[in-house]
Amino acid sequence: MLNLTPQTRKKLRRFRQIKRGYYSFLILVGLSALLACGELLINSRALVVSYQGELYFPTYGDFHPGSDFGLDYQYETNYRELQARFAAADEGNWLLLPLVPYNPYENNAAGGVFRPQPPSAEAQHYLGTDTTSRDILARLFYGTRIALLFALGFTLSVYLIGIAIGCAMGYFGGVFDLALQRVIEIWSNVPFLYMVIIIFSVIPSTVAVPTRISILLLVMVLFSWTGMTYYMRTETYKEKARDYVAAARIIGASNTRIIFRHIMPNVLSTLITFMPFTVIAAISAITALDFLGFGLPVPTPSLGELLKQGTANLRTAPWIVISAFGTLVALLTLVTFIGEAIRESFDPKTFSVYR
Amino acid sequence: MSAPLLEVNNLQMHFPVREGLFLRARAFNRAVDGVSFNINPGETLGLVGESGCGKSTLGRCITRLYTPTGGSIHFAGQDITQMRARRLRPLRQDIQMIFQDPMESLNARHTVGDILEEPFIVHRIGDRLWRRKRVAELLNIVGLPARSATRFPFEFSGGQRQRIGIARAIALNPKLVICDEPVSALDVSIQSQILNLLVDLQREFNLAYLFIAHDLAVVKHVSDRVAIMYLGKIVETAASETLYREAAHPYTQSLIAAIPVPDPHRRAQREVLRGDVPSPINPPQGCSFHPRCPRAEPQCSATEPVLAPLADTHLAACHLLARNG
Repeated sequence: MLNLTPQTRKKLRRFRQIKRGYYSFLILVGLSALLACGELLINSRALVVSYQGELYFPTYGDFHPGSDFGLDYQYETNYRELQARFAAADEGNWLLLPLVPYNPYENNAAGGVFRPQPPSAEAQHYLGTDTTSRDILARLFYGTRIALLFALGFTLSVYLIGIAIGCAMGYFGGVFDLALQRVIEIWSNVPFLYMVIIIFSVIPSTVAVPTRISILLLVMVLFSWTGMTYYMRTETYKEKARDYVAAARIIGASNTRIIFRHIMPNVLSTLITFMPFTVIAAISAITALDFLGFGLPVPTPSLGELLKQGTANLRTAPWIVISAFGTLVALLTLVTFIGEAIRESFDPKTFSVYR
Repeated sequence: MSAPLLEVNNLQMHFPVREGLFLRARAFNRAVDGVSFNINPGETLGLVGESGCGKSTLGRCITRLYTPTGGSIHFAGQDITQMRARRLRPLRQDIQMIFQDPMESLNARHTVGDILEEPFIVHRIGDRLWRRKRVAELLNIVGLPARSATRFPFEFSGGQRQRIGIARAIALNPKLVICDEPVSALDVSIQSQILNLLVDLQREFNLAYLFIAHDLAVVKHVSDRVAIMYLGKIVETAASETLYREAAHPYTQSLIAAIPVPDPHRRAQREVLRGDVPSPINPPQGCSFHPRCPRAEPQCSATEPVLAPLADTHLAACHLLARNG
């Protein structure tokens, strides 16, 4: 059962009263739900195939080779072609395609030439295609999903490491605190971008894409956790000196119990406030790195990569940059609104009027 | 007489004042500087002094929130001065503490039930059901309704909160309770209620108190013996009655003179102390009270007086008394 203190309930109530932030939160939750089941909305695989009286659901799981549906090839079925064939043959076979029947990786070259195609409802490229004829809507959608997941993983890792180390520094203090602080000062002066460039020029290109993404995440986390420790360290110092901690110690509570039962809950509420802004920083950082070409490895769909294409083809294919830029702005605005509302509702001093 | 419950011998708590890159100790804050006293089972020792004289530090040394830098503390015959946390844990049940500010000493995120249950959880006493029952009992003992257990500290008044603090302190049936100014933060009307509660609990559970206060009037109400502390040292100690009648040390006399008398016609010939307590980092030479003493003599600034008996249990540290007596 969720056992919330009255203060927490009050904060949540205040958060709901700040409409802009609350609605942004609802929209983001809805968007996340859509992204989570994205394969059902934007995908080159059909949702349902009815072939010779049998039903197939190809969305998840292994691919069906074309021979499964009476085609003469062993690679994955092209369901758009299959749909056209079923319609022409008229043997009672049918299939249902997703809203956007393209996946973010396939090049749907019209007339065999890779070139950006403008938005067209007829071709079902609702936002057009990029320079290699991949559907922009699909790439934006999956790019956003990866960016959000990446930001989430980044934020959680940074918080976990930052909180653990910062709390230990504040709680145990002394030489340990002093030494670690110097290490952090030196570490945070290592230039992050150079490190990324160096690391990715060393990693062989044979390394799989998910591994490369994990390495990028790891590098970013390694250079970002230090900021968290500053807050955590001072807050822990402050709470440690208060009488309720002394009371717990006199009762005989262990360090672990004092840290997790007493200090952490009193410190974390302020740290929650920073969380949305960490997410924003992560999304911006990954987009910027992609734009520069040092981010997510190709052919991973990403906002930064689309922005790069868009600026390169600003005159000939303006739809690329417009949709990518619009998505990025919308995403960051949503998270910013949520962040502002959380900060406002968690702030013990209600000095500003913000509705 | 039986052996004392608590024996404090020449206790010192010197906090290093650190500075520089390597935090070298530049000086020491002599918060507690050579204090000795005993407390017998079921007895109350009042400890009185101005703010900053080290009385709270002394209390925190005895509960081992601080590790003393010198001297010794024996509790029920065991030396707990440097005892490691693991070995100290079972003894923690016997030494508890009541804090000055009950809002500060109760975790605002826990319910009263959580707070009172914690001692039993930490010491692995009883199961969930038993603990719930015990919490209700404790609340009853300190005069709060059992339904308080589900509520949060901020929903209570200052006096009620202090009752919660007291309930937590007596939860483990301690033998000694350090009361660190337990009524200073409360309204005068509430103070006497809390003091009476403490006296009742002492009788019922045979508790020994170290009652720390800066107000002699409060201490008089509860104490068997009183020790007066000034700048990290005890300057006078005597049975409660004796001290009020025959205060010997000039500092004690000025403290007693400062007790307000509810008589508008009485124009007191008060000796009001001037100035503040000097810094314990750099205490005055000789008798630490001499800069403020109305009767200071040349030798007071030269040599430090020691606690010397005036009568059976009445000790004072003052050159003037030693010479006259």
